[in-house]
Amino acid sequence: MNPIIKLVLICLALVLPVQTIKSVQAEQGTDVVYERDVRPILKAHCFHCHGEEGVKEGNLDLRLARFILAGGDSGPAVISGAATDSVLIERVSSGEMPPEDKNLSPLEIETLKAWIDQGAQTASPEPETISEQYFTEEESRFWAFQPIVKRAVPILNTERMLSSPVDYFVLEKLRAKLLEFTDQAPREVLIRRLYFDLLGLPPSVDAVERFIKDERPDAYERLVDELLASPYYGERWGRHWLDVAGYADSEGYTDADTERQWAYAYRDYVIKSFNDNMPYDQFVTEQLAGDELTARPYDNLTPDAKRRLIATGFMRMAPDGTGSGGVDQMVARNEAIADSINIMTTSLLGLTVGCARCHNHRYDPISQEDYYRLRAVLAPALDWQSWRPPSQRQISLYSQQDRDSKAAIEQRAQDATDARQKIVDQHIERTLSEELIKAPDDLKEPLRTAYRTPSAERTDDQVALLKEHPYIQNISAGSLYLYSRQRSRRATDIEAIADKLESEAIADTQEEYLEGIDEPLRGELKTLLDIPENERSDEQKTRLSEHEALLVTAETLKKFQPEITERVASYRQAAKVCRETDARKELDELQNGISAIRDEIPREYFIRALTEPENHQPVTYLFKRGNHSSPSEEPIAPGEMEILHSKVSVEIPANNPDLSTSGRRLAYARHLTNDRHPLVARVMVNRIWYHHFGRAFVNSLGNFGQLGERPTHPKLLDWLSREFIESGWDIKHIHRLILTSYTYQQRSDRSAYLDQIDPDNRFYARQSVRRLESEIVRDAVIAVSGQSNNAMFGEAVPVMEDGVGQIVLGKENLDGERKPIKGDGLGALENRRSVYIQVRRSRPLAVLETFDVPSVAPNCTQRADSNVAPQALLLMNSDFIVKYSQLFAKHIQQAGGESLESQIAYAWKRAYGQEIATDVLKGFLDFQVMQKQELLQADSKLTPEAAEETVLAMVCQALLASNQFIYVD
Amino acid sequence: MWTRVEERIIKMNSSSRQELHQEHRQEFGQETVRSSSRRHFLSRVAMGSIPLSLAALAQKAAHAEPVKPNLGLQSFDLLPKPTHHEPQAKAMISMFMQGGPSQMDLMDPKPILNKMHLQKFPGEIKYDNAAEASSRIMGSPYQFAKHGECGTEISELLPGLAGIVDDVLVIRSMHTGVNNHGQSIHAMNNGRTQKGRPALGSWLTYALGAETDELPAYVSLTDPQGLPVEGVLNWSNGWLPSLYQGTVIRPVEPRILNLNAPQQFTGKSQEKFLSLVRLLNEQHREQRERELELTARIANYELAYKMQAAASEALDLSQETQATHDMYGIGVKETDEFGKRCLIARRLVERGVRFVQLFTKNQYWDHHGTLQTRLPASCKKVDVPAAALVKDLKQRGMLDSTVVHWGGEMGRLPVIQNDTGVANFGRDHNTYGFSMWVAGGGFKAGGTYGATDEFGHRATENVVNHFDYHRTLLHLFGLDAEALTFKQNGREQTLLDGQPGRIVEGLLA
Repeated sequence: MNPIIKLVLICLALVLPVQTIKSVQAEQGTDVVYERDVRPILKAHCFHCHGEEGVKEGNLDLRLARFILAGGDSGPAVISGAATDSVLIERVSSGEMPPEDKNLSPLEIETLKAWIDQGAQTASPEPETISEQYFTEEESRFWAFQPIVKRAVPILNTERMLSSPVDYFVLEKLRAKLLEFTDQAPREVLIRRLYFDLLGLPPSVDAVERFIKDERPDAYERLVDELLASPYYGERWGRHWLDVAGYADSEGYTDADTERQWAYAYRDYVIKSFNDNMPYDQFVTEQLAGDELTARPYDNLTPDAKRRLIATGFMRMAPDGTGSGGVDQMVARNEAIADSINIMTTSLLGLTVGCARCHNHRYDPISQEDYYRLRAVLAPALDWQSWRPPSQRQISLYSQQDRDSKAAIEQRAQDATDARQKIVDQHIERTLSEELIKAPDDLKEPLRTAYRTPSAERTDDQVALLKEHPYIQNISAGSLYLYSRQRSRRATDIEAIADKLESEAIADTQEEYLEGIDEPLRGELKTLLDIPENERSDEQKTRLSEHEALLVTAETLKKFQPEITERVASYRQAAKVCRETDARKELDELQNGISAIRDEIPREYFIRALTEPENHQPVTYLFKRGNHSSPSEEPIAPGEMEILHSKVSVEIPANNPDLSTSGRRLAYARHLTNDRHPLVARVMVNRIWYHHFGRAFVNSLGNFGQLGERPTHPKLLDWLSREFIESGWDIKHIHRLILTSYTYQQRSDRSAYLDQIDPDNRFYARQSVRRLESEIVRDAVIAVSGQSNNAMFGEAVPVMEDGVGQIVLGKENLDGERKPIKGDGLGALENRRSVYIQVRRSRPLAVLETFDVPSVAPNCTQRADSNVAPQALLLMNSDFIVKYSQLFAKHIQQAGGESLESQIAYAWKRAYGQEIATDVLKGFLDFQVMQKQELLQADSKLTPEAAEETVLAMVCQALLASNQFIYVD
Repeated sequence: MWTRVEERIIKMNSSSRQELHQEHRQEFGQETVRSSSRRHFLSRVAMGSIPLSLAALAQKAAHAEPVKPNLGLQSFDLLPKPTHHEPQAKAMISMFMQGGPSQMDLMDPKPILNKMHLQKFPGEIKYDNAAEASSRIMGSPYQFAKHGECGTEISELLPGLAGIVDDVLVIRSMHTGVNNHGQSIHAMNNGRTQKGRPALGSWLTYALGAETDELPAYVSLTDPQGLPVEGVLNWSNGWLPSLYQGTVIRPVEPRILNLNAPQQFTGKSQEKFLSLVRLLNEQHREQRERELELTARIANYELAYKMQAAASEALDLSQETQATHDMYGIGVKETDEFGKRCLIARRLVERGVRFVQLFTKNQYWDHHGTLQTRLPASCKKVDVPAAALVKDLKQRGMLDSTVVHWGGEMGRLPVIQNDTGVANFGRDHNTYGFSMWVAGGGFKAGGTYGATDEFGHRATENVVNHFDYHRTLLHLFGLDAEALTFKQNGREQTLLDGQPGRIVEGLLA
């Protein structure tokens, strides 16, 4: 479990900046004004009970300075110029207010006091009336809501060969801090950095050599272009987007965490879109409203239409418990909607809009009504009162031809099934006859009749009779295999019955004959019969031969007992058939044949899409305190948040008659990708920068609001954002601008001076040393071991729980007690890139989890990484690392030349992208000798060859476990 | 450095393990670290931003105000933390009897059940399994007797408990109020009935860290026959950092995953291997000596290595005397397995682990039917070892500072389930009133607390809800349930999550 990280990051910033910014004001004794300094404190802690939603406890409204001065039931809350006499100060200082909430910090209280003592001023005249959505001039002037303006690139003199406009903006800031760029990193560092940044893979030995030898002046730019064109680029950068979209292959929400079989198409869409460099405005629009761009019916879809519908999977990524049993449907639906809004707004707008679900945002000018306006935009597709569970939101990709073909195959399968049924019936009939042989003679017919009588029509006697003879009662199509399994025993039983019948008939024949004869002859004949045949004298034989019936044998029995003889023969025949007939095998074969026919049915694929039912425009209400059972009286119309609407106005239609859908999301998407929207471009450019430097201008990637960070380089952020828009939202263009900059190509070395001035590298006087993300650690291990399975796209590689609850790759196969049965492994699938591994929310793959893969509930706008001992244990001892170290060793034996020296040198190069130094190589060889001795000493049965193999794998493991492998300069 | 590989590796390996640690500790920690990075390092420690392990090695005492953690830089750790007030308990061992032991057959005698055996129950009953429900009362087949100076009545099925009864407080009025296993387990183990929240052990280690840097702070000991209901969620960190997740010590070897060196690392080859890794890392760091994260990661290998030895040592029961083995019932067929786990639990706590939880297998105590066959067998497995644990802790002077808990997520009903003949009789779920016992760590020793109605169905007197129990537990650990918070999704989350828990004074010594 690793759910914290994203959540913490979202909320993390909620603590620090408020205090510091305000405190500076207070401490410096500058004028403290209500809007800028005081209102944010009161808004965060007090408005909820004193002003918002018509709630005015004690008749006190704190939303305007004049309301505060006017006060409530306890008189004026504040006496201008006299902080110590003001009730407000008294209440917050004593901790009486806010009730239950945490107290105001000393700095906040100082700010309030300073404001009062300075005369309780406002920055501008206060409005006549105040609505729930009221925001101040100050809030409206907040940087993130201002238009994106492209300012001139600074002109600076420098001796360095600066290659990108980016550099001049960076240098301008650096110089203001008395810093300069550091040197350019050597080529082997650059290529490794670029490979991991753009592809998430280590460069091959050849690639490094080629690049180092490339003397063309634009060798670096060519490499950038080459990597941007690689299909692995989409796998790497698509993964970043999947984080913010909250991509998962399971529904989450409940324990069952049901799998989402078809989610992968969205993942593939994202990868393809990045590879194709789809313009970001189109990318956003398709994800929000791809269905609205596609005419109904969603049938016989063109590739474009298919793509656009798959894209809406973005709005279906939120955890969704509505398909699971045992959940409160209304709660689950509203949660799914709320999570979708969170995903949409944190990823695209960098605003924590979700905070306004229950009350006005405590820090940002986002009212609760704003929240429900956005909800109304989604309502036709996500209608909590007319909800379609996940299974009913899938669009089939079957064509008419597929349907016809399926019908034809089904018919064949049905025919085969009917034919099999006839055979089943025959076997039931035969089995019944066989079993009846066992039954007492007088019950044979009653049993047969009872069995054949449909169970509902059986008399009580029949029911009782059958209950006494379960071997008859239980004959059914489903149990035939049981009878088949014991057929040999049953045949023997029948034969025994036949034998018994026969010998009894013989005895009876003799008996009956004797009974017709008078004494003393009868006694004499009896005596003769008792003499064993081979001991009888000729005379005795002659005497007996006069009485044919007494000499009856199995062969002659027919003459005397024709009926019984016939019965015996029929039993024997039945036994023979019984012994020879393997009904189970025959029926299984027929069943397999039917399955084989059905296997020909073309597979039906589905799209998990967001769609609207036709003509569906539900009315949206605001939920008081977020409670869906307390809707507002007035409906809420779809629309943009007021603060953003005031910057770039937009009308969102309740229903656009030109479309087959409501058109709400499409209008909203067009508005977001309008070239004047202040947030969308900034948020994305900031994100791209982040992934190239490990740090962003606004380092709270998902929060551009009050509690987020302020941009370190506002001019550069805007310049790049404008450039992004003007280039046609060209993501690769932004990559190129950044990657070809000098800023990016610097060395990553720290220095004492730098650490003193800018320890966190906010100003980029160097690059940063960064740890590989979890997926990339795994992918890199597999890559250097020469095992990469480069197949792209398709169904997720499944994960399962092993016997101790560790999550490993594999197809789940549980025994009756839900314990995993050890399977054969997945073969080459185990070597696929991590982006293709199933993201089961409750089951993060152990290798990835150890290295901090984020949990998805609902999304992750920024990852964090940990540095803990279990990571070391994994790299020391896990099956994963041992397996790939051995494969790595095999790989270098094949690719690294004959000698141990050359193999180790090759391994070094493969792992680190560098030449090994002579003394280091010597060290490895020493290690090899020493370790080999150690192993041979410890295990007398070990051969020197085997010891060498083992040591080589250990050498490989040391490389994989080293910091140099999992960090990039 | 590389020209002396052999020398260095030999040196590392010739010194004893202890010396090796000492040497590493010095190099990484306090005494002999090279100049500039050392100064910088110390300044970062003072600022509280140094990542965990290195700080653990270097500066165990450097902690500021951690109970409400600083959310500035994300560096959570397991360093010992100060508490809100003087703690009585420092560690806890919980024996979780998953399935719901039958209180009226074990520690909450109800004579009227025997008087009214097979008669109709005269009130309302909340059943779980309506299909097998019966309204006929089931008397207890077992004899109760008073034990110890406190005179607590204990069933004949628990002679071990009877023997330690003066050190134990039996709580007879537990209540969670949700009649199924999963939700009630979450109530008892995660604070609320929903899943997804951090386990009790996660909260405690988040709040208090651990007294060891060689062992996991929070350990779960699972049953060889499988995980309890809700599986790994029982020790999930929820949305707390994964550092606070319970580490499963497996019921079979290898008891800790990734803890033992791969089999081919025979002899001292792993030490040599780690020396090689360390040389690689040091060489890498030499060019990046200001990157503290790299230093911390090197230290993590040391910690991991120490953990291998320390955990193996902690799990090595051969170090215990025969008398101790006998006391825990080790070597006796029925008690051997659970006895070993109880002994491991003591050894872990002794070595500074904060929270250890033992689980019985899936639904081990869920006696819906054939109670008279299965309940005695369940008792037999755990009774002697559990009692031994309390005795042993007491002998060693550890009981005062160690909470011991024995109980499940529910109890059982006074009426028959599966009314198809005496041998088949069982009892259905009951979360409205059930019993468990606690000992040590500031809990009252001897006697009982609270009561159920005369039939044992509902807690009526001094009801202890799961949230009351949790608040009381935190209190014993020196923690204020409302001040122990974690910021998640903009909310200050707590273990109680707003449930009105109280400190139950009557449970305290």
